Amino acid sequence: MTTADDLMIVLIAGLLSTACALLGSFLVLRRQALLPDAVSHAVLPGIVLVFLLTGERASLPTVLGATAFGVACVAGYEWLRRTRIVGSDAALALVFPALFSLGILGIGQFASGAHIDLDSAIYGDITFAPLRTMRLAGVVVPTSLVITGIATVLTVLLVALLWRPLHASTFDPEFAELGGLRGRAVGQVLLVAVAGLAVVAFDSVGAILVITFFVVPASTARLLANRVGTMLVAAVAVGWLSSLAGHRAAVAFDTSIAGTIGLTSGALFLLALLFAPRRGLLVRTLRRARS
Amino acid sequence: MIDWFLTALPLPYPDAVVVVGTAVVGFVAGALGPLAVLRRRSMFGDAMSHGTLPGVAVAFIVTGTKAPEPLLLGAALSAALAAFAMIGLERVGRMRPDAAIGTVLSISLALGIVLLTYIAGSGNSEQSGLNAYLLGQAAGMVERDIAIALLLGAVALTVVTIGFRVLRSATFDPGFSAVAGVPTWAVDAASTALLALAVVLGVRTVGAILMVALLVAPVVAARQLTTRLSGLVPLSGAIGAACGAVGGVVSGRAELPAGPVIVLLATAAAVLSVLFAPRRGVLARIRRRSRPGVATR
Repeated sequence: MTTADDLMIVLIAGLLSTACALLGSFLVLRRQALLPDAVSHAVLPGIVLVFLLTGERASLPTVLGATAFGVACVAGYEWLRRTRIVGSDAALALVFPALFSLGILGIGQFASGAHIDLDSAIYGDITFAPLRTMRLAGVVVPTSLVITGIATVLTVLLVALLWRPLHASTFDPEFAELGGLRGRAVGQVLLVAVAGLAVVAFDSVGAILVITFFVVPASTARLLANRVGTMLVAAVAVGWLSSLAGHRAAVAFDTSIAGTIGLTSGALFLLALLFAPRRGLLVRTLRRARS
Repeated sequence: MIDWFLTALPLPYPDAVVVVGTAVVGFVAGALGPLAVLRRRSMFGDAMSHGTLPGVAVAFIVTGTKAPEPLLLGAALSAALAAFAMIGLERVGRMRPDAAIGTVLSISLALGIVLLTYIAGSGNSEQSGLNAYLLGQAAGMVERDIAIALLLGAVALTVVTIGFRVLRSATFDPGFSAVAGVPTWAVDAASTALLALAVVLGVRTVGAILMVALLVAPVVAARQLTTRLSGLVPLSGAIGAACGAVGGVVSGRAELPAGPVIVLLATAAAVLSVLFAPRRGVLARIRRRSRPGVATR
């Protein structure tokens, strides 16, 4: 049985997976697949701080404030990395737990019992997303749908507008820099966009799905496609398929929606790993056996 | 003996248990951290600590109790499984490390959350408190936890001491150790198992999400102060133990969760050390560069 609420949840998850898959594919190709994990943890203190100042949880100030913390995380990571004293992996592992700790302490100290709590931040409360509504041009719509919708449109626009420099700086950074395509600037824009999107996703689906949506569909698509364009389409398709099937599974087994959507995308990844036409393990084993 | 030591501390007994417990956990994590950091596998540790969650949940479903031993065993097994999944994706699946780590981390976190939600809905009265494995909880520590931590820590440190030369050459010169006849897979397996042990001890105290900081931050802090691995391991362990103990006291006094306090202390130690270390620190380098006539690299 499908209700309007169910449809809404799938729609929100699907829209979000579209935006995450687009940016995530570039991150995977640029070997930065772990940045969204770090950023999604680092935005927590920003969300808490804005909540303490304004009492709002899903507002423009929240998105801006939390994005600032995400950017601060990336900046701190870049600074530590560039000192060459700390390896890039250790730099990342140093910055985001500290920021996440600040966020947890903030929630525990000041905001306990209020409309923000750790469970919803981590597990996500997409289940209740259809219930929190706002009025838009006289129609009552879920707030999350509006926010994710805007974020998705902006992401698609960003990728379309920056297609050439993004593409060039991902595969040939030196060419992008010399060819006047501002490769480094584009890379920074990409990271700011990731931070902003992580905040939006954090609020509507929780931290688990942020990481999953950025990395798993993109890694699945990487196994299936050979061109960036095809890879983006495949990643978006995997995201929608996981949202739909994951939601069905959650309803059937009465468990966490965010979790089952994540698991479904994991299952799709395993399928691709085994049976992908050219890079799959099965095909590669057969090819090796034949030669 | 633990009992005697706990009562000798100038703290109320429950606080003493927490402080000693966090100090032991901090020491073990700090001493084993170099296995991850020096091999540039810090985030590998992050994925392993997320990987403990499904194991904890499955162990709870199977045994139906919250006794620490089976849960820790489940955590260790699934953390090791996550580690081998990552190594497999890199070697057999030909994925890049960051994508392999990100994928395994996401899937194990999602699986852990689904299982924990299932347990929460099953109405088992014992289940409240399993959340502690996600965000950590030092306040619930008892003497038995310290005994377990001491025992496992002693085992880990013995292995590190015995295999020190092998680990050292595998860390700094993998090519040499492969030629010298030490199979890489054996070293990988051993260091993965040791890391799993450290992670498992830590998840109950600081939680799966923050555990990676306990592995990495003390090593970064210690790394600026010494150039020898034989000095790094004990120093990093000592820094971890100090952060654990101080964090335990502070969090007890201020009624804060211990995990985040310990993590912030360890991060502060790392950042201070990166800035002010005598020779390798940022300030020392700037000073050296601004002095004319000294060769700079």
